[in-house]
Amino acid sequence: MPKHEFSVDMTCEGCSNAVTRVLSKLGGVQFDIDLPNKKVCIDSEHSVDTLLETLGKTGKAVSYLGPK
Amino acid sequence: VSQPLTQEVVINIDGMTCNSCVQSIEGVISKKPGVKSIRISLANGKGTVEYDPLLTSPETLKEAIEDLGFDASLSDTNE
Repeated sequence: MPKHEFSVDMTCEGCSNAVTRVLSKLGGVQFDIDLPNKKVCIDSEHSVDTLLETLGKTGKAVSYLGPK
Repeated sequence: VSQPLTQEVVINIDGMTCNSCVQSIEGVISKKPGVKSIRISLANGKGTVEYDPLLTSPETLKEAIEDLGFDASLSDTNE
């Protein structure tokens, strides 16, 4: 599956938990959250747009860093 | 001229741990249609929302908070 790296402005456990939840809701994703570096690495067949939109639901600043 | 309708609902929100969580929720929820104001207390894990019942409902607001990635439940005081 394609791997994508996103930067998400997370500042605490609560933020990263929120990200975990929205991604789990979307389904069909495998992901790693790197809280100290504010990065989320996602393994998924979903398009980058779908993933961006999902991450954006948390209300945090999100940007796409590129494939990994 | 109809009187502006405002109702208030208290929503329990679990999973907030810092101010930036609070700001994310406030930022998103305050932009929802019908929401007039939102006050969140991190210490109590509660959000108080003033809303227009013609445009939104406690159920909708609860779902909006869940979409943000937090656990939300309506407190069953009044109603």
